[in-house]
Order: sequence, then structure tokens, then C-alpha cells
Amino acid sequence: MTHAAFEAQLDAYLDGELAMPEAGELEAHLRVCAECARLEQRRRTLGAALREHLPRYEAPDTLRARVRAGLRRDAEPAGAARRGPMAWRALSVAASLAVVAVGSWQLALRRAQGEALADQVVASHLRSLMAGHLADVPSSDQHTVKPWFNGKLDFSPPVYDFAGRAFPLLGGRLDYLGGQPVAALVYGRRQHVINVFLWPTGRGVSAGSGDFTRQGYHVLHWTTPEYTYWVASDLGLAELREFTGLLQRGDSAAR
Amino acid sequence: MESSELERFEAVVLPHLDAAYTLARYLTRDADDAQDIVQEASLRAFRYFAGFRGSEPGEGRAWLLAIVRNTVRTWHDRNRHHAKATEFDEKLHSEGIADDHPEASAVRKSESEALREAIDRLPAEFREVIVLRELEGLSYKEISDVAGVPVGTVMSRLSRARRRLEEALCLITEDC
Repeated sequence: MTHAAFEAQLDAYLDGELAMPEAGELEAHLRVCAECARLEQRRRTLGAALREHLPRYEAPDTLRARVRAGLRRDAEPAGAARRGPMAWRALSVAASLAVVAVGSWQLALRRAQGEALADQVVASHLRSLMAGHLADVPSSDQHTVKPWFNGKLDFSPPVYDFAGRAFPLLGGRLDYLGGQPVAALVYGRRQHVINVFLWPTGRGVSAGSGDFTRQGYHVLHWTTPEYTYWVASDLGLAELREFTGLLQRGDSAAR
Repeated sequence: MESSELERFEAVVLPHLDAAYTLARYLTRDADDAQDIVQEASLRAFRYFAGFRGSEPGEGRAWLLAIVRNTVRTWHDRNRHHAKATEFDEKLHSEGIADDHPEASAVRKSESEALREAIDRLPAEFREVIVLRELEGLSYKEISDVAGVPVGTVMSRLSRARRRLEEALCLITEDC
């Protein structure tokens, strides 16, 4: 066993997380290895020091009051109406995934992560609309935009030109979402801008799929076996769905 | 129904506000920021409470802590253009960067001060497992749920975090 592996096992043992027979083997080893016994002693000293010196903080009364006031505001009927469909959707997702052995609360958590990411998506969309931020590579040519990502990302995002369907490609740029660099592709529809954010499925937060609305912007999210997609635009929902339909068909055709 | 939902939330989740605030304090290293985080996380937790079906006593705590942790993440992402937040970048800190142990040259500090400074200097993903384990007493499985990483990763992060803390302490006590 390597030293680091032993150390990790020792930690698990001291934390009461090591099962038999490993725990028994480790105890036997500690009896014959002086260096390992010293390591154990140091860990116990550290544990005592942490318990002695690391404060556990108490939430200030002002914070408790703020939280309670916020909750009451949120629980009012207007809030309930807003929350209703969301809860229903979370439940329907829960039902469809009931066979998967995940912790009961993880679904709710994933949903919450999706909401948080939707906030970031809209923030990125808005930032891109500021002068000079829309595209690092402004081009309507997919064969210019796609290679531009080489060396900037470790994946090559699918880029389409839907000019024939009146959704012309406007360009691409690097963006940052959910704690990682992602590809942002920009498409247009009349004066509207559509931002498409994508990264390989399995990285970062996976929120399944869903629709969100933020400050009047629509945010659509779905996942294919290859890519996780987030799309944001102020375009009407019907036209935006027409666009995402094109993207999804393009992707399944490419597979 | 709404008020009973609120009552259920207050009974299951709110008792863990101290734990939430403690985690937020250590992750943000700032009392005011920690309050904002806990406020936002509590509201978020309430909005998704309908999907929460935990019944075990500890589950409400792990669930709230997971949301606090994710709220800190998005908050750092949102502020990442500000210089203060760049230190949260895991890639910068998680591998192979030697700590510069400023206290080596400084006058002897108390063990308590040294330990707190060492905690503050830990990369965020190490700091969070230390807080969750040493202060909150979460099991490896609970930590894995909160941090969204496998149990094996929890185990190795804890081990590496403790090793760094020992190094920091040994520097001042000079007994190893």
C-alpha cells in the first residue's frame, strides 16, 4: 500500500468509516509499524486541536429574523402561485426517475442547481449584449467558427448555419458557466440574439432539462448524450422552440 | 397547505441555520457575505422544499448544507471577475502549489491562530470537507452528497487537508 493510501485509510479508520476486515488489518499494522503509529498520534493531536480551536458559529439573531421574514414573504399566496407549477414539474421528474436509486433530496437539489445555472445563463446572455461582447469570432461561416475553438476548449462544439431557416449564425465566443469554460454560439433572428451555451454532458452541474424565465428572457435547457445545452434569448417562446428543434435535429443527424 | 409547508420547513431545515452559517463563514471567510449566502440559500431551500422527501433527522441538515455550498459556488462565479473571488478557483489551488507558510518567518503564533490561518489558506474543496467533518460531524456519505463528489474523493480530500494542517502546525510547534 502506498503511503498516501495508508494515510487515507488511517483517516477513515479514525473517523469510524473503515469497515472490517480493513479496520482489523489496519490495527494490526499500527502495532508493528512505528512510523504509522506516529502518524496516528499526529492525527489524534490535530483532531484535538481542531475541536479545541475551530469555532462553530451561531447564526446571528438578525440573520434568523431576515430568513424568517424572507420565508414568510415567499410563502404568501402570490409566491405559492409562482411556485406551484415548478413543484409539480419537480414531482413529475421525480416520478420518472423513481427507479433510479438517488437520495430523495438530490432531485430537489439538482432542480435548485438548475435554477442557479439559469440565473448565470441569463447573466452571461445580458453581458454578451453589451457592446463588443457578443462574439470573439464574429462570423456567419460555421467552418470559421468551429475551428476557432480548437486549442481553447478540449471539445469541438457542433456549429450549424441555419441561415436558410432565418436563424443566421453570428459567431462564437468562450464563456464561463457553472465553474467551467464553455462554448457560446450566437445565432440571430431579426433583431433578436440567441445565445447557445454548451459543454460535454457529464461535466459540472447536470440539471436534466427544463424551461426557465428570467427578467423576460427565456432559458431552455436540455441534455443530449454528448452535450449539455442552455439557450437564452428574448425571442418569443414559439420561435425559440423552432430554433431549438433545429439544433436538436442537427445534433441527432450528426450522431 | 402553504403554512403547513412553511411549518414543516421551519421544523426540518431551520434548526440547522447555525450549521449553514458556520459553513458559509468558513467558505466565504467573511461574516457579512456569510449572512447573505445563508439568507439566499434558505430561500432557495424553501422553494425546492416540495421536492425534498427526507425524513431522517440529519437529512435536512445535509440538504441545507448542500444548497449553502452551491450558493457559495454560484456567488463566487458571479463575482469571479472581482479579484477577491479568484482564490476560489480550484484548478489554481488544488494541485501542486506549495503554500508559502508566511508564519515560518513570523513570530510564534498561538496554536489557535496558526490553525485558523491554515484553514483559511486551504483550497475551498479541502476547507469544506474539514468543516463538514470536524465541525459538523457529517459521515463520509453525507459529505459526498453535500459536495457532490464520490466517497473516495471525500476520503482523499480529508486526508490531504489534514496533512496540510499538520504541516502548518508542525512549523510552529517544531515537534515533527
